Amino acid sequence: MAEQQYTVASDSETTGEEKSSSAFPEIAIGIDVGTSQCSVSVWNGSQVELLKNTRNQKLMRSYVTFKDEVPSGGVSNQLSHEYEILSGAAIFNMKRLIGRVDTDPVVHASKRLPFLVQTLDIGVRPFIAALVKNAWRSTTPEEVLAIFLVELRAMAEVQLKRPIRNVVLTIPVSFSRFQLTRIERACAMAGLHVLRLMPEPTAVALLYAQQQQQTIHENMGSGSEKNALIFNMGAGYCDVAVTATAGGVSQIKALAGAAIGGEDILQNMMQHLLPNSENLFLNHGINEIKSLGLLRVATEDAIHRLSSQSSVRVDVDLGNGSKICKVVTREEFEEANQKVFEKCESLITQCLRDSKVDIGDLTDVILVGGCSYIPKIRNVVKGVCKREELYEAINPLEAAVCGAALEGAVASGVSDPFGSLDLLTIQATPLGIGIRADGNSFVPIIPRNTTMPARKELLFTTIHDNQTEALILVYEGEGTQVEENHLLGYFKVVGIPAAPKGVPEINVCMDIDASNALRVFAGVVMQGTDQPMAPFLEVRLPTVDDGHGWCAEALNKTYGSTLDLVTVQKKM
Amino acid sequence: MAATSSLTSFSSSTSPFIGSKISTSLPCSAPPSRVSFRPCRVSAACASTAERPTSYIATPTSASSLYEVLGVQMGATCQEIKAAYRKLARILHPDVAANGQRKDTAYEFIRLHEAYETLSDPAKRADYDRTLYRRGRQMSSPFSMSAATATTMAAGYAAGGFSGYTRQRWETDQCCIDPQILTSWGSIAVVNS
Repeated sequence: MAEQQYTVASDSETTGEEKSSSAFPEIAIGIDVGTSQCSVSVWNGSQVELLKNTRNQKLMRSYVTFKDEVPSGGVSNQLSHEYEILSGAAIFNMKRLIGRVDTDPVVHASKRLPFLVQTLDIGVRPFIAALVKNAWRSTTPEEVLAIFLVELRAMAEVQLKRPIRNVVLTIPVSFSRFQLTRIERACAMAGLHVLRLMPEPTAVALLYAQQQQQTIHENMGSGSEKNALIFNMGAGYCDVAVTATAGGVSQIKALAGAAIGGEDILQNMMQHLLPNSENLFLNHGINEIKSLGLLRVATEDAIHRLSSQSSVRVDVDLGNGSKICKVVTREEFEEANQKVFEKCESLITQCLRDSKVDIGDLTDVILVGGCSYIPKIRNVVKGVCKREELYEAINPLEAAVCGAALEGAVASGVSDPFGSLDLLTIQATPLGIGIRADGNSFVPIIPRNTTMPARKELLFTTIHDNQTEALILVYEGEGTQVEENHLLGYFKVVGIPAAPKGVPEINVCMDIDASNALRVFAGVVMQGTDQPMAPFLEVRLPTVDDGHGWCAEALNKTYGSTLDLVTVQKKM
Repeated sequence: MAATSSLTSFSSSTSPFIGSKISTSLPCSAPPSRVSFRPCRVSAACASTAERPTSYIATPTSASSLYEVLGVQMGATCQEIKAAYRKLARILHPDVAANGQRKDTAYEFIRLHEAYETLSDPAKRADYDRTLYRRGRQMSSPFSMSAATATTMAAGYAAGGFSGYTRQRWETDQCCIDPQILTSWGSIAVVNS
């Protein structure tokens, strides 16, 4: 049973204090759970070392199969063939599903995967199930991730011969704070404590900062500032960061990201090879799953070969009477994925603009992630950054996890006699955080790309005469209207003194500490006094649970304009 | 100092509101609960890095100039400011600061970053330099800058005139920084505006 596999910790586990204050700090390990592949690394006292599983793999497939009584993941499980993952018994791509509601287009795209993803399109968590002995057995992305993390933890504990508790995980830039809580939840279920959740390109930036510092040590040169653009694209997500580095300090100037990656490219190509394929597999019959698996493997193989060849032949028998025998050229591939490449381009442009770093002032352009082998991706990055060469001294598949291990060592308080850990990442917020005000507008209080830790505040006022209460709806995102953003939580400020509209002042202050915890303070302030009218509210966010799609709608319906309707509904 | 410690106790106090949901405790007679956004207030709050009354942010009330926060001379070059910022970040950033003082250093780091943000941006720095000078003159208790820099500032200010336009402000800066940097700053300012 799954319950025997992991110990479920309490919810407060995810919000615990920083680290234990023992004399010998436990070095946190770095984990990169990618949509497709996963790796673990640790600072071994002199350098970063990637851990290997019993089959000598540094990169392990991210999946959990439920085909046996005890679920097993890609760390321990020996695959007889790729198709085993595609039989419906295994759940993969959990990073694309975690913390998303069933109205999310990414969840809808996941319906074409061999396991079951069911949506009701009302803003709740999707139903996910694996095929076990001819029945769909339900699970959740958190549970799948937790089972996988338990395996990773066991593997690391065996190799390092010590218990593992603290971890630094890499995450996509575009993850909302709600998604981060789901990752923390999965870690807590696996008995792991998250020291940091590090956006993937910022982990790469830290590794780059270390490399630059070592070069300086060798050359005895002065620590002049170097700007680098990091483009990371894996199977699930695309992230961009601009960092300014000198003397081991990596200052993140800007971040940009989207849920776009190799999975989208694969789906587009499957669609290209077999038009209407998405409808063909929606019923999830046994034979259809088998055909889908065959098509997926053949398409994946073709995409890989297209990185080195200008055209490839795809020859696959789908078993249901339909055969695909086609020559695919690189031009066709690029045309079928034009939108993906355009999105990549716009993310880089946006990140550069936000960073206020001129293209000419970029010292290095770093390309990492599984998609970095695609020639078109390389050309897009080179094209936007106007350069011929990319930074070579970094392993595109291991950079993020190595950076996470460095951060793990630094955040655990480890120092190195040779100065290899004299490092610091000054992070920036990837998404804006604000509240609903001015009708339905999203008013950011901490804008995107604000340096962390951060504390910012804004004053608001009432819109009605004698209004004594105000509803504070906290959102995260970039949209100008609240609907385009993620709801993080809500609360009410009460005790506003009766006054004409526009007179009372409500101060809303937001605080993000270095470990990225968000607190919102709100209260009524009076001109000319330092004392607040009533006690302030301090709220740790996010507070919303799974049905956050519903929350926003319910609040809107309830408080929109008519009050009477509200109370009756709520009193029930 | 008093401001910082009160802030710390405030934020570390246990709050009964964590994770609570408002829906059940709502009284029937509640008026429409909405807030609107007042632009004038906001711009005032955003534009100044200086004192804010009745604020949750208890940082710069202890009167010290942004230059002092960074520990640089008023005439420091952009490179010097960046270097000073990094040096202090390595001490004050909560990730590297000693265990027990995390809370305190977070606000010191925020203050450091605010100083850096203002002084590393040529337009913001020029604005700040003017307010610093004006305040110094009005209050007749100038911030503890050296007499030499104060004089330089005053001279520069007078030479630049009082029109308050960007072009003049570059001239005020000119006496402290080398022309090479000035040119590059000028170009950045054009891009920004």
